[in-house]
Amino acid sequence: MATHVMPTDWRHAAPTRSRAAGSLHYLTGHYLLLPLGATVAFVWANVDGFSYYTVARALAFPVNAIAMALFFGLVAQEIFEETAPGRALHQWSRWVVPMIAAAAGVTVGAIVYGLYVEWKLEPMLHVTWPVVAGVDVAFAYFVVKAVFHRSAGPPKGGHYVHPAVPFALLLALVSNVIGVAVIAPVFANAAERTGGAAVLMAAAFGVAWWLQRRHVKQFWPYIWVAGGLSWLALYLEGFHPALALLPIIPFMPHARRRLDELFADEADQRGATPRHFEHVWHYHAQAALFLFGLVNAGVVLTGYGTGTWATLAALLLGRTAGIAIGVGLALALGLKLPANLRAREVIVIALAVSVGFTLSLFFATTLLPPGPQLAELKLGALLSLLGVPLTFIAARLLHVGRFARAHVHPHGKHRGA
Amino acid sequence: MFRLFVSLSLLIAVLGAAAVAEMPQSTAAQNGPAIGPPPAPPPAALQAVRFAVIGDNGTGDQPEFDVARQMVASRAQVPFDVVLMLGDNLYGRPSAREFDDAFARPYKPLLDAGVRFHAILGNHDAPDNRLYPLFGMDGQRYYTWARENTRFFGIDTNRLDDAQMAWLENALKRSLERWKIVYFHHAIYSGGTRHGSNIELRVRLEPLFVRYGVNVVFSGHDHIYQRFKPRKGITYFVEGASGKLRKGINASAESAAAFDQDQSFMLVEIAGAELTFRTITRTGRVVDAGVIGAGPTS
Repeated sequence: MATHVMPTDWRHAAPTRSRAAGSLHYLTGHYLLLPLGATVAFVWANVDGFSYYTVARALAFPVNAIAMALFFGLVAQEIFEETAPGRALHQWSRWVVPMIAAAAGVTVGAIVYGLYVEWKLEPMLHVTWPVVAGVDVAFAYFVVKAVFHRSAGPPKGGHYVHPAVPFALLLALVSNVIGVAVIAPVFANAAERTGGAAVLMAAAFGVAWWLQRRHVKQFWPYIWVAGGLSWLALYLEGFHPALALLPIIPFMPHARRRLDELFADEADQRGATPRHFEHVWHYHAQAALFLFGLVNAGVVLTGYGTGTWATLAALLLGRTAGIAIGVGLALALGLKLPANLRAREVIVIALAVSVGFTLSLFFATTLLPPGPQLAELKLGALLSLLGVPLTFIAARLLHVGRFARAHVHPHGKHRGA
Repeated sequence: MFRLFVSLSLLIAVLGAAAVAEMPQSTAAQNGPAIGPPPAPPPAALQAVRFAVIGDNGTGDQPEFDVARQMVASRAQVPFDVVLMLGDNLYGRPSAREFDDAFARPYKPLLDAGVRFHAILGNHDAPDNRLYPLFGMDGQRYYTWARENTRFFGIDTNRLDDAQMAWLENALKRSLERWKIVYFHHAIYSGGTRHGSNIELRVRLEPLFVRYGVNVVFSGHDHIYQRFKPRKGITYFVEGASGKLRKGINASAESAAAFDQDQSFMLVEIAGAELTFRTITRTGRVVDAGVIGAGPTS
């Protein structure tokens, strides 16, 4: 996705790199530009709301409908690469339990959301339930990786990936796919359907296919030409145009790497082809995410309401419970969890994917026009960041991952609690 | 590096162009409720327009009945025949019994006297409440209607989408009446400690109100009464205490009057270039009153 972790010795590799460039690499490498943009927006909206909303309103469409296409393109590319033969997502058997768990998580989350809205007698909010499907994939990845960073497991080719990582990522991806499938046809700012979209989409496919046939290794023709046509087709047909790169991704050149590197691209190998899409475009996507946080996360503190608490309850309680129920159901059906995953690890993973943040914000801005109800949902999405400390607290209480009482270091050494 | 610079510049240029294209809101859309043909210039001698204003009233509790009783009593002095409802018209789950308990029974004397209600939806209203015939919405979320030299615009701030904004701008632009009155649920100026002013809505709505000469705006949501000093020629009222009451008003130099000690409603009379208003509690006490001028005839 939109992050890029430099090799640990990058300073030695580029001794002349300035401090500013180093800071930028740190921010992009640790997925911090989005929270930075969100923090700036939150403070700005509460200090001078008028100027904030004036700017945010002007930027909303270009950021949410155009720039975010890069973000979703990167997500799609990551998933597509992992479905190749021999890759982590190639075997459907690995998908089954997370798929059931994700579906159950969204279902129970939506039920909790609906019950809360009904209890508070605000029926207008019922239609906004898809916000509960949003999982911030990057937060889930970083939190799960941090919790299970030093947990037990056999060394595997010198590199151990705890099964919690792919399990959490699959959960997050499936949940988001459900959300995208629901919100895609209800793009709030859709132009009137004018026809001709099928022709434009066919042209987009044709250009992408032709570029692939010509073995074009540069990404920009795929993005700007084929992606542009696809964007226009979706927009004219009333689908969310931020998903424009999804149909183009399968035609683009791809690099091979491991699932646990979903957010940690390898250093650029100059001259190596095909170069990785994420590596080439990570600055663009990070810029888009910064702007996304800036444009969408500005909510005044008094903007809370039923939508806030419904979103928060659905994400933290409903989805966590739903995932636990879904896993239990899968086990009852005779399916098996990956090795080293037990009930308590599942609970910690479920809490880690309770953070809606980016995706919940995106779903909310798609479902509602700017106004008080959207503000309520946004605040709920922001507050779902509470899932991060809750995950660590649960891991500590349940002695999971790095908080296990005694475990074997991935490299074979025994470690104490 | 050069390639990165070029591609980032290209991305910024595209986003910038899209942002600039977004800034002037389109006025072309003609969707939404019918606006009707532009009215003929108003005749010289017009009847006064008299109406009452209530907000956040639909509880079905005793205070709502008290306010309704006081409204009936006040008709002896100001024989209004229209009531504006500012949203949260029905707090309970929509059912025939609920509509009866929270609306038809409290306001029965007014309904029997032929008084017409015109509601807009609040956050506690179900979307289909617009279909309830006695709410006078003709099934629309937003609509406009006129009486004598006054045009009213009821809008839905729960979903202020681009289509509604375009409709509102078009409706305001076509209005030739001397008085333009807009009413909706979420206040863009409010000193209520719970919700306060909705700045995001203000950014979108106020420029239209100023550009097209809106005179008065009524809102609810905060369960208080408040009047603001005219801002850019517009007087803003909050009347969200006709059923619910929540005490707490932030002090503000922009506030002209505020009251949060009891349930209340407003009486308004427009005659020529003057709008006279009174805010009355459920016990009959007048807590605010005044006259607003329409300014030069447009």
